[in-house]
Amino acid sequence: MNTPSFGLDDFLPVLPAAILTAGAILLLVSEVFLGSATRTYQALLAVVTSVAAGALAFSNAFLPAHAVLQGYAVLDPFSSFTTVVVCLGTGLGALLGAGFLKHRNAERGEFYALLLFAAAGMSLLAMSAEFITLFVNLEVLSVSTYALTAYLRRGPRPSEAGFKYFILGAFAAALLLYGAALLYGATGTTHLSEMAAGLGAAAKAQPALVACGFFLVGAGFAFKVAAVPFHMWTPDVYEGAPTPVTAVMSAGVKAAAFVALVRVFLFLGPVFDPEVVFVIFSALAAATMVVGNLLAIPQRNVKRMLAYSSVAHAGYLLSGVAALFAPATVAPKSGVLSASATWGADSALRGEALKGLLFYLLAYTVTSLGSFGVVGALERREDETKGNAWDLDRFSGLAQRRPFQAAAMAVFLLSLGGIPPTVGFMAKLLVFRAAVDAGLVGLAVLGVLSSAAGVYYYLRVVVYMYMRPAVEGMQTPERQWTTEFALAASALAVVGLGLLPGSVSDWLSRAGLIFGQ
Amino acid sequence: MESPLVPYLPILAVLLLAGLMAMAIPALTTRLGPRSVNPIKSESFECGNPTLGTARQRFAVKFYVVALLFIVFDVEAVFLYPWAVNFRALGWFGYGTMLMFASTLVMGLVYIWKKGALEWES
Amino acid sequence: MIATSNYLILAAVLFCMGMLGVLIRRNALVVFMCIELMLNAANLTFLAFARERGDATGHISAFFIIAVAAAEAAVGLAIVISVFRARGTVNIEEIQTMKH
Repeated sequence: MNTPSFGLDDFLPVLPAAILTAGAILLLVSEVFLGSATRTYQALLAVVTSVAAGALAFSNAFLPAHAVLQGYAVLDPFSSFTTVVVCLGTGLGALLGAGFLKHRNAERGEFYALLLFAAAGMSLLAMSAEFITLFVNLEVLSVSTYALTAYLRRGPRPSEAGFKYFILGAFAAALLLYGAALLYGATGTTHLSEMAAGLGAAAKAQPALVACGFFLVGAGFAFKVAAVPFHMWTPDVYEGAPTPVTAVMSAGVKAAAFVALVRVFLFLGPVFDPEVVFVIFSALAAATMVVGNLLAIPQRNVKRMLAYSSVAHAGYLLSGVAALFAPATVAPKSGVLSASATWGADSALRGEALKGLLFYLLAYTVTSLGSFGVVGALERREDETKGNAWDLDRFSGLAQRRPFQAAAMAVFLLSLGGIPPTVGFMAKLLVFRAAVDAGLVGLAVLGVLSSAAGVYYYLRVVVYMYMRPAVEGMQTPERQWTTEFALAASALAVVGLGLLPGSVSDWLSRAGLIFGQ
Repeated sequence: MESPLVPYLPILAVLLLAGLMAMAIPALTTRLGPRSVNPIKSESFECGNPTLGTARQRFAVKFYVVALLFIVFDVEAVFLYPWAVNFRALGWFGYGTMLMFASTLVMGLVYIWKKGALEWES
Repeated sequence: MIATSNYLILAAVLFCMGMLGVLIRRNALVVFMCIELMLNAANLTFLAFARERGDATGHISAFFIIAVAAAEAAVGLAIVISVFRARGTVNIEEIQTMKH
């Protein structure tokens, strides 16, 4: 038996996750040893940790794509960029959490520690190139999020949301794991690259085994990214979870799950059968866009409306994923049934789709964090058990009462609706352009139409904020500087990236974005 | 032709007889024996403690906390076995890795200890 | 030696039982146990294939899956306890307050 030899280079990609984990452990220990009355330092420690991890990931993003740690992980700009987005989301989420928890006298180190553990899981999930590594990191991120969902123990809602999230999340993880076990049985390896090499022969020998494994893995991921028809858990969980946790869930968890999905299917999809993968992703994208938007329209509960809107946004992202497997991107008639799979000559199309996906993840992270942040800032502890804490009426006349928060919310809602000059518009433009270039005109048209329907329910909130008088006796909790800072930073990012998307999108256009292609 | 199982017929007979006896004797004693149930008779005799309350009572939630912590720390020990078997082959690299793993677990232990999850009386 | 296919069939049956249990049972604890059943069915599949191929990867996977399942069980049980404390019941049909 020979001892594996690792160099410093092997540990470079996992260093951001190591920093996040160390910060989390420090927070846990500080919570029990320094039980002081004021705990704002914990939020700041969490922010410093995520900034440090994000900065390191950013410097990693300029290294060429290569496999590390004996092929269990890969270092590529794709994963490093995801880590940057995740760290951004975690830092803003910690700031939003500070004010939210202070209002409820529930500020504890465990909250930030769980946030950082989840972020470490997301960062590692984005770079996993082996099924067991992927499963373990998916669970690190999921288990932390289950605990965060049930973090506030006051009232029945959080525990109900935590329970639903736990059952459906664990169910999805089990589907994914069983699928991975079947694929392991067919190919004899759990490494994605080796599996891709052996899958063609295995699919000829045992087509049923490979197909079952493939669809189970796909269903597991569809649950995690909340694609229709696997979206049922989203509204209840998003509504019941503490609002800052919902913000992080809709941003970081979704980004990491999407990145892992893209990585797995980029390896295995073309070998299995790009046409089947293409049809499935197109159908999922179309259903998710339409159903998410239709269900959001009748909602008067703003938090629930944003939850359905996050389902719709998963649909837009899925149309970008479908573009990766479009006939124009992949050479026709490839796959296990004919010759060995090859990507089409036009790898530029694939680059465009990946760029669109990553930019969309960044855009959705800042926008969604900001919008949930405003919802959380308006939420009073006393209304929690009544269930009307998020009614549209709570937003009426907000422009007079809280001009800054109303303006920030308006910016976020315009960005969610995809209206220029916000980052949401640029992101939709990039994703739909990639879809059109790949020949998915129908899907892009459906996306534009359904997001036009989305504008209706986003603007309704703006109308309430600016054109309705305030309801009598509608109190809002006192302002917290941490929350205001996070909202200002998000709003600035939404407008700034909307006006000047060039720097980020140029950076994303660089070659060798993703490993192994 | 004689079946090879014929020599085992007596065993079958014994089994049947034993089953019949096992059912018949309790049935006969309950049917024929005199019965007198009183509190003194149903007390535990010569050994054992008198029972307190019902067996279906609820347990304190403290048991769940200890059980949860036990499961987590117990199962993490599973990673120590493969390392212990290959201790020499893995050398200092394996030692360092396991030290890191164990120290993370110790941090968790310190946390729950200081948190008071191990205190029975609170 | 027992054929690999027997193990695989057992694992598939266990997995389907777990999946059906999650979908139709009403007791939160039973649903929770069904999920553990699904994870262990996957574990058995890994081990059966690993034994057939004489490959260490599947055996190592089992260790990780057991450890992860334990962590998940701990958090899951804690959540079930908090549901019970908030509601006084573990019946899933009674744990439905948020409207659609």
